[in-house]
Amino acid sequence: MKKTIFAALLSLGALNLHAALNEDVEVPYVPFEIKMGKHFDLVQANCLTCHSFGYILNQGKQSRTFWKEKVEKMVDAFKAPITKEDQALITDYLAEQYGNGQP
Amino acid sequence: MKRRSFLKGALAGAGVTALGPEAFAAGQPVDNRKISSIPFPQKRPMITYSDRPPLLESPRYVFAHPVTPNDMFFVRWHMPDIPTHIDLGTFRIKVNGLVERELSLSVDQLKHDFEPVEVYAVLQCGGNSRSAFKPTAGGIQWGSGAMGCARWKGVRLRDILERAGLKKEAEWVGFNGSETAAYYETPNFVRELHLEEIGDHVIVAYEMNGEDLPYLNGYPVRLVIPGTYSDSWVKMLSNLTVTSDYQHLFFMDKAYRVPDNDCECQKPGEHVPTKPITKMNVKSFIGYPTNGETLYHNSYATIRGVAFDYGAGIKAVMLSFDDGKTWQEATLGDDLGRYAFRAFTFDFKPKKYGKQTIMAKAINRAGEEQPYAKDIKWNHGGYKFNGIDVVTVEVV
Repeated sequence: MKKTIFAALLSLGALNLHAALNEDVEVPYVPFEIKMGKHFDLVQANCLTCHSFGYILNQGKQSRTFWKEKVEKMVDAFKAPITKEDQALITDYLAEQYGNGQP
Repeated sequence: MKRRSFLKGALAGAGVTALGPEAFAAGQPVDNRKISSIPFPQKRPMITYSDRPPLLESPRYVFAHPVTPNDMFFVRWHMPDIPTHIDLGTFRIKVNGLVERELSLSVDQLKHDFEPVEVYAVLQCGGNSRSAFKPTAGGIQWGSGAMGCARWKGVRLRDILERAGLKKEAEWVGFNGSETAAYYETPNFVRELHLEEIGDHVIVAYEMNGEDLPYLNGYPVRLVIPGTYSDSWVKMLSNLTVTSDYQHLFFMDKAYRVPDNDCECQKPGEHVPTKPITKMNVKSFIGYPTNGETLYHNSYATIRGVAFDYGAGIKAVMLSFDDGKTWQEATLGDDLGRYAFRAFTFDFKPKKYGKQTIMAKAINRAGEEQPYAKDIKWNHGGYKFNGIDVVTVEVV
């Protein structure tokens, strides 16, 4: 049902949507090119629930401490249900793929 | 050798701190991000940092004009689930808490039962230009396009509160938007303002540049707080709760804060007391020409840009074509009000071939002026960058 509405809107052209706001508006899916690596499966399983990979890519290269604290923030502040073990492995992935070499 | 003596001088100067001053400072924000080929609803293609929640930035050329078109206005949401359907027939803005009469207002009632007001105001993310900070500050590495200026139409927040009637213990108002998190336990994006902060300039807006608010900019109504960073301009505003006490909320106590000291700065890793970012500092930005564009020797080019601050108003915009040795005053455009972008123009005739830098510096009516980027000190969230803008073009 949702899909049909989306398709119908697409055929109208995205720019006409404000005239059609009484219908469902869909935000497009953007494929972000994230690096593959060890424990990527955990990143996919835990991070995507709340945000796109864009949130990871667009933080810039950061230290291991930064990534560790980011993961902790997702759990402590935003209440993401990520186990301690997975938190450590996700931090490893982030420090490995998007690290700046700093501890 | 020339290079060696320069290095010597630089090192001597850097002797004050172990790592050198440049280690905790700022450079120019990133300005070469490509525009996505995927347009979002009601938007032209923009620089796209995320689709969920949507984070879209306006490219530099948009700032050649003092009013930012709705379809190029930046977008920043905090939660993954934003309503994809708003039915004006049932949508209500609720006012509750310490009030005499609880209200449940439709957009139609806002439009017809209250005095409409209009204001041109700049909406800027506190993390706009964050990518300028070295070392990399935490957060999305925005260029300088997480800002825009629109003509907002709506009703005064005070008028709504007056209609509800504040009880005498009332002190704070909490604002809740309609976006929701993936997990029930995640704190909502709720902001609070103290009643003292709610002047007549604060409005609940239902129109932007003469049109309904775009869906991604907070349709059908959002808070507009001229002069302040956008973190409290709650989108898809659905609920106002009046309280006597400040509610400790994540987005108030943890996010959007800078060090509570004179320089609003800290060393990386250093934990210091913080305060909210609130008022915007003075800033200017060149919209034309953009980095890497070609200008012609001995041929006039009209440089265009915008300047703004927290509401003191722009007194002058100065331009330099010799890396800051000398400055020339630009012509200011129409005054759209003290919270608006003030356009500036300057007719420039390039006299030498090759690389040419153009710098812009705004000065407000309080005498505050933009610092050089290198003089801006670091803060953990990369907030409030307002370094002098630099564009480099090629003269042929």
